[in-house]
Amino acid sequence: MKVEDLVALFKEDMPRISSNIVHVWAVFWANFKIFLSYRTWVITETISTVASIAMYSFMGLQVDARRITLAGYGEVGWLSFALVGVATANYLWMCISRLSHSLQHEIREGTLEQIIASLIDMKSYIIGQSLRGFMVSGYFMLGVMIIGIAVLNVPLVINLNTVFSFIVIILLMVLSYAGISIMASGLVLVYKKGDPLTFLFASITEFLGGVLFPLKYLEAYPALWAMAWLMPYTYALDASRKILLNGATLFSSEVLKNAAILIVYAIVFIPMGLKVFRWGVNRIRYEGTVATY
Amino acid sequence: MEYAVETFDLTKIFENKEKGVKRYIKAVDHVNIKVKTGEFFGLLGPNGAGKTTLIKILCTIILPTEGSAKVNGYDIIKEPHKVRSSFGWFHGETGGRSLYWRLNAEDNLRFYAYLQNVPRDIAEKRIDALLEFFELTEDRKKLVKDYSTGMKVKVMLARSLLHNPPILFMDEPTIGLDTISAVETRRLLRALNIELGKTIIFTSHNMFEVEQLCERVAIMKDGKIIVDAPPSALRDMLRDIHAVEVEIREANNLQEVIKSLGGLPIVKQIMEVKNDPYNVVIRLQVEDEYDAIPFIASKLRAMNAKVLAVRRSEPTLEDIFVKLTRKETA
Repeated sequence: MKVEDLVALFKEDMPRISSNIVHVWAVFWANFKIFLSYRTWVITETISTVASIAMYSFMGLQVDARRITLAGYGEVGWLSFALVGVATANYLWMCISRLSHSLQHEIREGTLEQIIASLIDMKSYIIGQSLRGFMVSGYFMLGVMIIGIAVLNVPLVINLNTVFSFIVIILLMVLSYAGISIMASGLVLVYKKGDPLTFLFASITEFLGGVLFPLKYLEAYPALWAMAWLMPYTYALDASRKILLNGATLFSSEVLKNAAILIVYAIVFIPMGLKVFRWGVNRIRYEGTVATY
Repeated sequence: MEYAVETFDLTKIFENKEKGVKRYIKAVDHVNIKVKTGEFFGLLGPNGAGKTTLIKILCTIILPTEGSAKVNGYDIIKEPHKVRSSFGWFHGETGGRSLYWRLNAEDNLRFYAYLQNVPRDIAEKRIDALLEFFELTEDRKKLVKDYSTGMKVKVMLARSLLHNPPILFMDEPTIGLDTISAVETRRLLRALNIELGKTIIFTSHNMFEVEQLCERVAIMKDGKIIVDAPPSALRDMLRDIHAVEVEIREANNLQEVIKSLGGLPIVKQIMEVKNDPYNVVIRLQVEDEYDAIPFIASKLRAMNAKVLAVRRSEPTLEDIFVKLTRKETA
């Protein structure tokens, strides 16, 4: 290709058409391809997921199943109870940490400068990154569920209604935490140090959300009990267990109530998160630290 | 529109905190430049002069502390989105960073094409053409992490041109390129300027490039524009500069040698000391190189320095910067 040919090609110009959907797709698609290029990570992470399920199945032998029944989840074993907890907690953790991890990487590699200098709106960037997070986390959650059902014979109630209801609850769970995730990413932009906020939330969530034990045990500790019910995850996990362990659906009153609470959290936190994120972007533009290469 | 780029007292002060003590660095200091639409404009200056910060402000990546600017007629603070649709930006200093190393070249370009709203079919045509022009067609499916620095630079150049913007900010576009690719890149930029009327703001450390391409140059020093002139004026400045290069084998008494060379009446100034593992190269500005060479050689011999060469040296842009700085200080 000669200079003259290239110049001739640039002579035919077309108006550029702005589309947020194309921007979201571009971010999702590029990041998903990058994820696929980390084959070793995918393999080791898959192995570690399988190993953790094996560990839980042995732990389950030590737990008295009646305690789960007393907690209001019917006559199911501890493994079924824990499997739903672990699968949802891992999914949430991977989803909410995704954005801040990518941003740290983009700052380090200097790609964020190019993104800021382009025509993408930051909301589209966040959605694109989050979609990639949903997809990758979904792969691991599906893996946990399949191993639980097929290998460990965990009796989950799987039918069209429960699967649909569970997917909706998972989406609402992620949305209820999206604000916190976006907020944490805004802080990561400015402080450039890990994402202590999401890590803190993940640890507290795992403990207070009752991933491995029924929340009823916390009733004896009023402060912890109150904190547990302040977290959206507690409602999401309760709804997920009622769906997958007891066969409830989205339209069952107990699940619907939890879904409504998750929506309220999403409505309150997402605008706050976006505000902090916008502040973070402008702050690094002012400080001149959009890239740290 | 008469001006593609206009700045009005544009200033950027960075705040740096070291051990609890705040330091303020004026990277861009009340800069006023006007670049005409369709002009090929050179922005020069020593490292740390503020060129890249100025370009990043114009690209809306950095917010100014004071002042304002217009790019393609749009205000960089009030209309950043419109500004972003007006320019292509290449930043050579990154040495191939700023690309997604775990994507291949065409995926990198496709990603940015979509972010710049280039219609899909046009994007594909341009990606093919640019990859062919930069001789990357064969390697287009290879991950960028496996590219050489020169190949990464080519992908970055292609990216800055892909959306066919009216203004190009080219921050050292030939850095890291082999000679042939550098020549072709210069030809392309010239053609885009002449044939398509693109405004090009160009930085370089290469005097030859600047002379060949730019219609006008501004020199920045400590965040300020200290010269705004045609490149021929720079050539005139170079005419007055006489330089000699001394190459010696690693010397234990290097500081003493430098000090005594600097003290010679025939030496105006020590311009640069390059310390390689096995030898040291010292560039000196002198009154007259023909008188200076034998004088310096005998002085070095008297100091028992292991002299490898004492030769005339072509003046460079750095020499102009040093000269202008000295003039400013005086």
